Amino acid sequence: MAEMVIKNGVVYDPKNGVDGERNEICIKDGKIVDNVGAGAKVVDAEGCLVLPGGVDGHTHCAGKINTARIMSPHDMRYAPVAGLSGPEPRTKLLRPQVGYNTPNTHGIGYRYSKLGYTTIAEAAITPMMARHMHEEFESIPILDKLALVLLGSNWQVMQYIQDGDSEMLKSYMAWALLASRGYGVKIVNPGGGSNWTWGKNVSGLDDKVIDFDVTPADILVGLAEANEALNLPHSIHVHCNNLGIPGNITTTLATMKLLEKVKASQDRQVMHLTHMQFHSYTGTSWMDFASGSDQIADYMNSHDHLTFDMGQMIFGPAMTMTADGPTEYRNARMFDAKWSNYDQELEDAGGIVPLSYTPQHFAHATMWSIGLELALLVKDPWKVMFTTDNPNGGAFVNYPEAQVLLMSDKKRQEVIAGFPDMTMDRISLPNIDRELDWGEMTVMTRSMPAKMLGLDVKGHLGAGADADVAIYDVKPDKVDVSVEHEAVKKALSFAKYTIKGGEIVVQDGEIMALPKGKVYWVNAYENGIVQAEKDRLMTDLEERFKKYYSIQLSNYMVEDAYVPRPVEIRPEVA
Amino acid sequence: MQTVTLTPKRSPTISIEAEMITPDAFAGKSAAEIGAIGAWEGNEEITLADIFDVAVDGSGDAADTKIIIDGDVPRVKRIGEAMTAGEIVVKGDVDMRCGALMSGGSITVEGDADSWVGREMTGGEILVKGNAAYYAGGGYRGETCGMRGGKLTIEGDVLDYLGEHMCGGEILVKGNARLLPGVLNWSGTITIEGDTTLPGGEMKSGTIFVKGKVLEMLPSYKDEGTEEVDGVMYRKYIGDLSRNGEGVLYVSV
Repeated sequence: MAEMVIKNGVVYDPKNGVDGERNEICIKDGKIVDNVGAGAKVVDAEGCLVLPGGVDGHTHCAGKINTARIMSPHDMRYAPVAGLSGPEPRTKLLRPQVGYNTPNTHGIGYRYSKLGYTTIAEAAITPMMARHMHEEFESIPILDKLALVLLGSNWQVMQYIQDGDSEMLKSYMAWALLASRGYGVKIVNPGGGSNWTWGKNVSGLDDKVIDFDVTPADILVGLAEANEALNLPHSIHVHCNNLGIPGNITTTLATMKLLEKVKASQDRQVMHLTHMQFHSYTGTSWMDFASGSDQIADYMNSHDHLTFDMGQMIFGPAMTMTADGPTEYRNARMFDAKWSNYDQELEDAGGIVPLSYTPQHFAHATMWSIGLELALLVKDPWKVMFTTDNPNGGAFVNYPEAQVLLMSDKKRQEVIAGFPDMTMDRISLPNIDRELDWGEMTVMTRSMPAKMLGLDVKGHLGAGADADVAIYDVKPDKVDVSVEHEAVKKALSFAKYTIKGGEIVVQDGEIMALPKGKVYWVNAYENGIVQAEKDRLMTDLEERFKKYYSIQLSNYMVEDAYVPRPVEIRPEVA
Repeated sequence: MQTVTLTPKRSPTISIEAEMITPDAFAGKSAAEIGAIGAWEGNEEITLADIFDVAVDGSGDAADTKIIIDGDVPRVKRIGEAMTAGEIVVKGDVDMRCGALMSGGSITVEGDADSWVGREMTGGEILVKGNAAYYAGGGYRGETCGMRGGKLTIEGDVLDYLGEHMCGGEILVKGNARLLPGVLNWSGTITIEGDTTLPGGEMKSGTIFVKGKVLEMLPSYKDEGTEEVDGVMYRKYIGDLSRNGEGVLYVSV
């Protein structure tokens, strides 16, 4: 492949200690290198912002989004973000695009690329649904992808934890990642998804799961220990119990403390807590509900075993989709909204409810504030990932809007001025004047998600990294983001260049090329599990599939044909 | 005052997307300019002059513009979409979504209207002198709010789901309405002078008058006795209780 050099850019590469320097970025064969020859293609960045390609470590982009599409024909016509939403006709290069919260697969690829994002992580997939997810991955162009596999309400997992059989748990975890070609372990409302099979939920860490002698706390610790025993690149990725309920901060803090006793196998967090905004509520009801961001931030600032992402809310229509079936049922009842809900046999539950958030509603205004407060009150940006829990808190095409909010106190105050009075004593955001600088923003949107996921080749621009680069028409030396936030938002929405694997895929906000992305997955089974344990697991699984599953074990595994461009990662065996 | 007369030249078999046939788009334009406006016939781009002879008399703004479609256009969709003012008269039948999203002015259809006439309209008036098909005054697929304002009158019969997800405004049907008029309603008033079946399914609030017979009644309505409205005696029901609804259904006695 041809060589390329990016000249005259203002580079932010926090992992390698580069903070707004005019470095040259050299690219060869899809990788960042130290030097290139004189014949290399020159990209003149003209003093513009040069960052590693964006990494979205938590998004819902394949799998149950398909059910959301079926439920939401009206989403096809929504176009609140010009150029990044709504119907767009076919061009010579591009397929037609539709939608806002649930764009078609091609639209997802085009729009993330326009934002300068090059890697995305589908945040919740059961092994049973993985085959379809990979088919969707295959039709999302440009981006590299990976998937987090739901194990937090899985019958096998709960059985092996109940039996105290940590070897079987480890074997099953490794096998589940292999079976689904998944990257990491996701836990959603641990135990709740299983109880939902019987129309019940769990109310906290210490409830018993129906038919199993385990609690959500047992599941979390069991899976975390197995995750570390397998030395997986990512930690457990956790959606806590009691999402969206006033007072749920008690459960969240208890979950954070619970994991203090598990030791990480490598230099990263031992647990990532996702969409923290939805889990940081004080109070006892919606009447006295308020932000608990200060308590969460205090804990995060004094402990180093955790990371979290914001789950920032965006005003306007959203599409909630989660494996948390009982939460979605509650949403549907509370808002008199349409809903779908499902039980995924032995593996988890799930539900989908379209909602709309408005700044005129005190509860929504408070939730919007909490996401920003969390990111601003936690001092170390390496503990915070930027997300909207797309499309639960809002569609990913709004990332520039929320990123600018983190960088401009002025813009925040403008929004807050429109909030109802009932909001003001529930939030602390009006008193927070911190504005993220470009280095911190780069950490939260690139470097931290890559480190949190354990993706060494992403989120930085050092030699050996994948040549994924985003160049924006922002002059960091000259622009005052705090004041000129609208112009910066526009620049972040349409990258001047997005370079993916050394190829220019976006230029001046337009898609130029459609390479196919890779799929990262973790094989901890092949070398990580000894043959005797593999045999023991398979004997048990054969019995369980015969007894309980609707499909045969032989039809269950995602075959190689579904992952044509895999990047297989084999963790070192301890 | 500007009068634009569109005379159909042929009878297309494939539907034509013609959301630009509005007083707003035609106001102040010459016959040649109007004839040059693009439309889609299936997947082929055409102009209005391909399907109509265009004649223009006078000039005016949208409120002062009257469009006469002088004949049947049963395959022309979206006539009067999102119009804000002025008048459209169709001397025949129209295809789907006539007057969708309109906020002002008036449309008269002298023949029949296909489905979704007046979909999501917020103001203005539509009069259909013949029959209308499904979802008259209804919502967009997947949305939870249909007609929001204005008045829709149908002198003939309508098929199923009249005023589906209606959020406001007024609908009058002088003939019969088939299944489930007012289904999933939030607000607004529907009057059916003929007969209907299962009115007000999952209605949250709003009002339905049935002056003919209710051929089949939902079991989830509570009988509130009789009440006289504008000199007519009705039996009054509240529902749909399956959705904790507080809609009012009056059935003539």
